Amino acid sequence: MNAARWPILVWAVFMAGALWMTATRLSIHSELGDLLPEGTTATQRLLLTQVRSGLAGRMLLLAIEGPDPDELARLSTALSGQLRTHAQIDFVGNGTQMLSPEEQQLLFRARYLLSGTVAPEAFSTEALHAALEQRLDELRSPLAPMVKAYIPADPTGEFLRILQLWSGWKAPAMHRGVWMSADRHRALLVVETTAAGFDVDAQDAIQQAIRASFQLVLGESSPSVRLLMSGPGVFSVEIQRTIEREVWWLSTMAATMVFLFLYASYRSLTLVFLSLIPLSSGILIGMVAVNSWFGFVHGITLGFGITLLGVADDYPIHLFSHLTRRQSAPATMRAIWPTMRLGVLTTAIGFSSLLLAGFPALAQLGLFALVGLGTAALVTRWVLPVCVPDGFVPREIRADLLGMLGYLAKAKGMVPMAVVLATIGLIWSDTPLWEEDLAKVSPASEGQKRLDQELRGAMGAPDMRDLLVIEAPTEEDLLRQSERVMPKLDGLRDAGLVAGYELVSRYVPSRLVQQQRQQALPDRAVLERRLGEAARGLPFAPGLFEPFLAGVETARTQPPVNRDSFQGTPLGLKIGALMMEHHGRWLAVAPLRGVVDRQGVTATVAGWGEPAVTYVDLKAESNRLMMEYRDRTVQLLWWGALAITVALGIGLKSLPQLWRVLVPIVAGLIVVVGIVNVSGESMSLFHVATLLLVIGLGLDYALFFNRAEDQGEERHRTVFGLLVCSTTTILVFGALAFSTIPVLHAIGMTAACGSLCCLLFAGFLAEPESHVA
Amino acid sequence: MRSRKILVLGVWLLTGTLALAAESQQSRGEQMGNGWTVEQVVALLKEGREPSVSFEEATYSSLLTEPLIVRGVLRFTPPSTLEKEVLEPYRERYVIEGDRVTFESERKRVKKTISLEDYPALRSFVEAFRASFTGDVARLKQVYDTTVEGSSRQWALLLRPRDSAGRSMVESLTLAGSEGQIETITIRSPDGDRSVMTLSRGSAK
Repeated sequence: MNAARWPILVWAVFMAGALWMTATRLSIHSELGDLLPEGTTATQRLLLTQVRSGLAGRMLLLAIEGPDPDELARLSTALSGQLRTHAQIDFVGNGTQMLSPEEQQLLFRARYLLSGTVAPEAFSTEALHAALEQRLDELRSPLAPMVKAYIPADPTGEFLRILQLWSGWKAPAMHRGVWMSADRHRALLVVETTAAGFDVDAQDAIQQAIRASFQLVLGESSPSVRLLMSGPGVFSVEIQRTIEREVWWLSTMAATMVFLFLYASYRSLTLVFLSLIPLSSGILIGMVAVNSWFGFVHGITLGFGITLLGVADDYPIHLFSHLTRRQSAPATMRAIWPTMRLGVLTTAIGFSSLLLAGFPALAQLGLFALVGLGTAALVTRWVLPVCVPDGFVPREIRADLLGMLGYLAKAKGMVPMAVVLATIGLIWSDTPLWEEDLAKVSPASEGQKRLDQELRGAMGAPDMRDLLVIEAPTEEDLLRQSERVMPKLDGLRDAGLVAGYELVSRYVPSRLVQQQRQQALPDRAVLERRLGEAARGLPFAPGLFEPFLAGVETARTQPPVNRDSFQGTPLGLKIGALMMEHHGRWLAVAPLRGVVDRQGVTATVAGWGEPAVTYVDLKAESNRLMMEYRDRTVQLLWWGALAITVALGIGLKSLPQLWRVLVPIVAGLIVVVGIVNVSGESMSLFHVATLLLVIGLGLDYALFFNRAEDQGEERHRTVFGLLVCSTTTILVFGALAFSTIPVLHAIGMTAACGSLCCLLFAGFLAEPESHVA
Repeated sequence: MRSRKILVLGVWLLTGTLALAAESQQSRGEQMGNGWTVEQVVALLKEGREPSVSFEEATYSSLLTEPLIVRGVLRFTPPSTLEKEVLEPYRERYVIEGDRVTFESERKRVKKTISLEDYPALRSFVEAFRASFTGDVARLKQVYDTTVEGSSRQWALLLRPRDSAGRSMVESLTLAGSEGQIETITIRSPDGDRSVMTLSRGSAK
């Protein structure tokens, strides 16, 4: 007896170890970015890095909505003041104080390097005279108080030109000094977070802090005012929360139904709990395996992995269904093991195709499912039988079930009919077979997507879809290349192909250009003489322009300005979003605004003959990337199917048997795809992944239906077991099919239909008992 | 930056408005006693309406050795259109109509329109102007600290912007006059520079 107990001991030790590792080492990530594909080309990889951690991902759009514009303006000022002190927030814009005094200082000191009008002729006597006349005009005009402070050090007006450039974007309307929507019901703010948009936990914390700050400044006064938020970070959090909420109640519902159903089937609480052991052991060991290999487990891997492991829940059910008074549980297990083993092995082949997909999300999922499946099978084989109480027998199986089986076998013709119908449906349906728009798979709610569009429109913020990417080996090369591209972009704008653009060269000139500007500055003696002549007859105070003479002299030998000069300021953030270094390569990203004719832009940019400049439609690019991975997964599935067939052939050693196992699965897959398509859904990567589960289930059903040993009562038990298996699967995934989240719905619908089809088809095609009358 | 510019423009326009209103009182020749109050000034401003008045404005600045002079005409068209036209040494026009400000310069080939709504500072000045014309002293006092000095022979109405944004550009506005006539409007900025607008009737076109 003791010898029979040793598997329990081994299992207990493993579980304890795994639990310990889970408690101490497990790190569950929720950053969606970790699961994104890495891209195949260097540019793609760099671009994806930017999408993950770049400015676009870190930007939150806020709106304070209410009926009284004055109150909104007050709240906007108070809220932005609060948020600027937050450690996780880099920048808050609400229309006031576009540039801080320190930043203005920085730009002012570098005015002769940054201003595009610095050229030799700008410092001639005539040009200086004209500039001084202009300053007099300004002093006479209502502009005087704002410009007069700059006149002594900058009589040629370089600084104001730079300022205009830096704040030269299409700003929203203003009300009481802050940004406000055109209808004055929303005060607008923009927040740049330190954390990436995909970092769900950090984003959640920041967004909660923003809401708390808002409640604080709002006080008790205005119940009709509310805070709206959008941006990639908000989407991430919303998606995560929705999934968590739906998964929680759907799985609670499914678990309750399965529990009740299993209890009704076996009338034993012990067995119901025992049936959980293989699955939970599989989940635990799978988690530890993924964590050890990848260094972390993603929350999504866990969710989907447990879905795929659903097939492992069938194993204990087979065991329990085959128990009889005459045979001990270990003996029963030994009897059904060859069939189960073949099912496990072939399902594992199917799952392993995920490992090779080259998509981090799928690789994690593959490893998890593979290890979990193996663990569950081993636990069912060695541990479970020892735990089953002696003398347990399941309920008597009702005789009419067997009659049903007879009908099924007589209705073989249903299988080709269903396949033909599904094929016709697929051909006639207007729904495209594959979903090519990732956005449609996104679980973000329509309301949230609409709000995002509205706020972006009101803010004049680019939606970061259309980008011009410039590559170069060094920072200087990049800036020179970008300077060459700038007039071409102006051409695009003049031709109406883009409404506007941002480009790093607008702000940071190349070293070459800065040197040219320095050479254009006259030395002090020359400048003093020219200025004296220029000011003749004008009423400027004597010695007024001493700061100008000193400033120009300093600028002649000033070190050039580059990206690092702006480090640690909001200006630096802006530049950091427009140019970046990645593994020794330099990249400028120019967001284009208002692109309608994307083909036109593509053609024009291609016509420039600049190999280092590429136009990227980020949406099309990410869709294309996703489709590439889907195609690769489908391709791997075919190889997996071939491997499964070979393994089955070897295991079954009989062609007719192989036929009877394979046909229901293939037919099941075709019919499921047909049902999904005809119901108006296009297939995504998630459907494909779920088809793997369907294959696993189908193998399990077909193998058990075709067990050579099954005769008489034994066959009834098999059928009963399969019915229990299939019903539990349909209960669990049927619940998921009711989810409002497209991904969960896709999985639920595919798996539930697949389970039903595979069971029916396997039943139709199963070899009828030769000696049944 | 832009709003500060507009604020100054607002001061300019407003002073013109007050000048027009006060100017019109001159003809009424009302008696001014020692009990001269803001309420009385505003009451007179409310009633008065003169189509146009000439001005000469001198800007004194620490940057300059001599003041800069601008001459032109202020016009008011009911119900709420105000125009400041510069004639010398160049031609430029500023027009406030309802909540829109139009700036026009032939020399610079510029004509642009901005909304008063976008500029809280300017709006407070225009509110003051409208408050004056509707006799709404409460509103005027909401935007400015008001002081009246002197006697009816030689008086001064001192306006200090209440909000800090206004004060950072304009320290005070002083309307000085004798009997029912405004003679000068002085705008002082915090750095000590000032502009003095001298008004005269009769030369308007």
